[in-house]
Amino acid sequence: MTTWPNHALQRTRPSRSGFNRGVSWTGSLSLSRWTRREFVAATAGASLALAAGAAAKPAAPARKRVALIGTHVRKFAHAQHFLDRLLEGYGWHGRHHHPALELAGLYIDQFPADDLARERSARFGVKLQPTVADALTLGTGRLAVDGVLIIGEHGDYPRNEKGQVLYPRYKWFKEIVKVFESNGRAVPVFNDKHLSTDWNEAMEMVEDSRRLKFAFIAGSSLPVTWRLPAIELPLGVPLTESVCVCYGGVDSYDFHGFETTQCMAERRKGGETGVRSVQALKGAKAWELLDAKDREGTRRLLLAALCRSDAMNATEGYTFAEPTLDWVRRGSTNITVFFAEHLDGFRTTVFLLNGTVEAVAFRDQRVRTSMWTDRFARDFTWAGTEKGGRTHSAKFHLPMPPYNTTLADFFNPLMNHVETTILTGRAPYPIERTLLTTGMTAAGLESLHRAGERIETPWMNVAYKAPKESHFWRA
Amino acid sequence: MRELKKITFLLGEFALQTPAQQILDRFLLGYPRDGGWRKFAGTKFFVAASRSIGDAELTRRVRDFGLARVTDEQGYIQDSDAVVIIPSGSGAKPLPDNLVRFLIAARGKVDACFIYGALGHSPDVAHDMKGAAIAAQMGLLSGTWVPVAARLPQVDVPAGAQLAEALVVVQGPKSEAELHGLDLVLALAERRRGGEVGIESVRTLAGGEVWREGEKRTWSWPLLAAALSRSNSPQGDALKDARTQDLAGLGLVQKLAREPRGISLQHKDGLRSTVLVLDGVVADINFAVQLRSGEVISAQVLRSPAPAENHYTRLVAVIDDFFRTGKAPWPASRGVLLSDLLARVSGIQH
Repeated sequence: MTTWPNHALQRTRPSRSGFNRGVSWTGSLSLSRWTRREFVAATAGASLALAAGAAAKPAAPARKRVALIGTHVRKFAHAQHFLDRLLEGYGWHGRHHHPALELAGLYIDQFPADDLARERSARFGVKLQPTVADALTLGTGRLAVDGVLIIGEHGDYPRNEKGQVLYPRYKWFKEIVKVFESNGRAVPVFNDKHLSTDWNEAMEMVEDSRRLKFAFIAGSSLPVTWRLPAIELPLGVPLTESVCVCYGGVDSYDFHGFETTQCMAERRKGGETGVRSVQALKGAKAWELLDAKDREGTRRLLLAALCRSDAMNATEGYTFAEPTLDWVRRGSTNITVFFAEHLDGFRTTVFLLNGTVEAVAFRDQRVRTSMWTDRFARDFTWAGTEKGGRTHSAKFHLPMPPYNTTLADFFNPLMNHVETTILTGRAPYPIERTLLTTGMTAAGLESLHRAGERIETPWMNVAYKAPKESHFWRA
Repeated sequence: MRELKKITFLLGEFALQTPAQQILDRFLLGYPRDGGWRKFAGTKFFVAASRSIGDAELTRRVRDFGLARVTDEQGYIQDSDAVVIIPSGSGAKPLPDNLVRFLIAARGKVDACFIYGALGHSPDVAHDMKGAAIAAQMGLLSGTWVPVAARLPQVDVPAGAQLAEALVVVQGPKSEAELHGLDLVLALAERRRGGEVGIESVRTLAGGEVWREGEKRTWSWPLLAAALSRSNSPQGDALKDARTQDLAGLGLVQKLAREPRGISLQHKDGLRSTVLVLDGVVADINFAVQLRSGEVISAQVLRSPAPAENHYTRLVAVIDDFFRTGKAPWPASRGVLLSDLLARVSGIQH
């Protein structure tokens, strides 16, 4: 021990940083001077037991049984994110949280060379079932789980002429519904991402959940991930337009963009009223529409959103740039823009700002080639404007592996909402949100397929009210 | 609000993705703030740096933004409203020896000075810097981006809280990791009831000693677990297959840590705080503090992705406010203490 020299310091004033006070654990950590052994024994025994295999599973009577139906399980595939969070737990509110769910049924559709499903199945003693129905009945013929997760994202599936990947979400959902119907009992269902590539199928899924009266939660992690700043629009806000600026491919990240805009738009005065039309344009055609006089607000929101970006392309010799229309126009050489008009006149716009990197200053060229090629902005930012001109904006933060993190922890809040839905039998936010984002995504692809034709969407006259709380990650 | 007509930068180096570039460029190009873009219209910027350092990049900024390069640092400092000093490297390297003389010479001419990193490379220099600033009636502020960066979640020690313990997890090469860790732990600790009262003793830990002291409860395993739970970058199996395993609960921390280091501080009012440098365990900065009530507050300090590294944006906003208002958001004493601790830790480790 080294004795510190006698440097008496003035008492300091508390910083006026304006941070909010946050609360994590309370009570249970009052013995902060525990040794690691004591700590492990007291708080993390479940981790050791679960990792040791099924024989060592703790007798936890309160855990509800669930089935996971997935396309494939590779590193960073969506099914891997959910499967591991069920089996290994995840960081939540200042501790490693083990869901009060037991993965009892597991059906995986494809097994690529780098499959992880079999390793997880063996290590945790969860049997891989041959069919979706078996994953729900565990081979007994009777519904044997309390909740179902459909993770129909990633894997080797065909694309149709519009560029939609034909994941078997609807097909699996109907197989699940069949088990519910034959048992006379239904349990909560989570569907990762959009419901289907087809509006009628999506509508049928929602109607099934209403008919059989089970909680149905779906969608992206974007609405529930961190927001920087952590803004919560009050219900009834007089919002007139909502814009998401993001990147990536169609029938994938466009959906995330719609989920981002919709979780904010639905909080507007009067609630959601439905969508009148969708139009999607690429390149010069998109700019032609954006340059129109009545799109001044959209242009302003585009720049407001980009002011929240941490990952916008920079000019040569610099590491960041001021967002300007000129720079976006020059840098987003492969821009796609989705314009949606709602029945009450509200406007939604989603920008996929893809483009060739012009000349970004990178110290590590490996980062440049692996991460930034063909992306102008590589994060999700949002901006909305109120009647009267007041603008709100935020970054919807995705700690995205492998460039910035090793884990896609934006799945943590989504997994937690799935857990809550199964435990309580109530979905925290309405399925109608994802019904509409499914429809806007599909209509957008239809528009692109028809060379940018405006698609009238009378079938999307879906009205709903947002929940009082947004349920995004903030603790 | 004070109008800023002239700001001079004294740079130890200039290269892309160094603190010097990230901070200087945010004054030249502007920076995102409150949903808009803050620009320094009407402010003239001067830079004093050796011509051998980052010449091409500085020349680009002379061309693009009218940045003025000067060699007579003393003369230009005296004409500046504010001075920004950014040493080479991470901020842990020594400042130029003649800076104290510069500051004394700037008496009555410069209103405010920000120094990136430690206030001085030795306790004596740090005290002299602070003394010179007081004599010159100049606002003085120092530090890194770590205490002011965004946090996930955006939490802090409640002002005036009764703090029982604080623990910070960092990574990186010696000096830089210690600078970041100590800067953060001091910023957290000074918010406690009574503020910072000084350090009674400091102890460095290395290798297996880190874990033995954990077993002896010199630092808290539950706080380490809480801090690690905030990480998005666990190493080990997560690198291999992205599994979300419980590093602390599964006993993996010791196995993953490469040459762990630690700094244990005993504050004069009894508070204990710890910096753990855990390369190989996680790759982000996290902290956990415990209040005397038993409540634990934990968060990740968000390091924004390269190349923009927008964690510097928050620091520039702090510097901007400091220059315009003349009010330091934290006391220069933190910088003195940080310098003292860094010198002490460096001396012990060597």
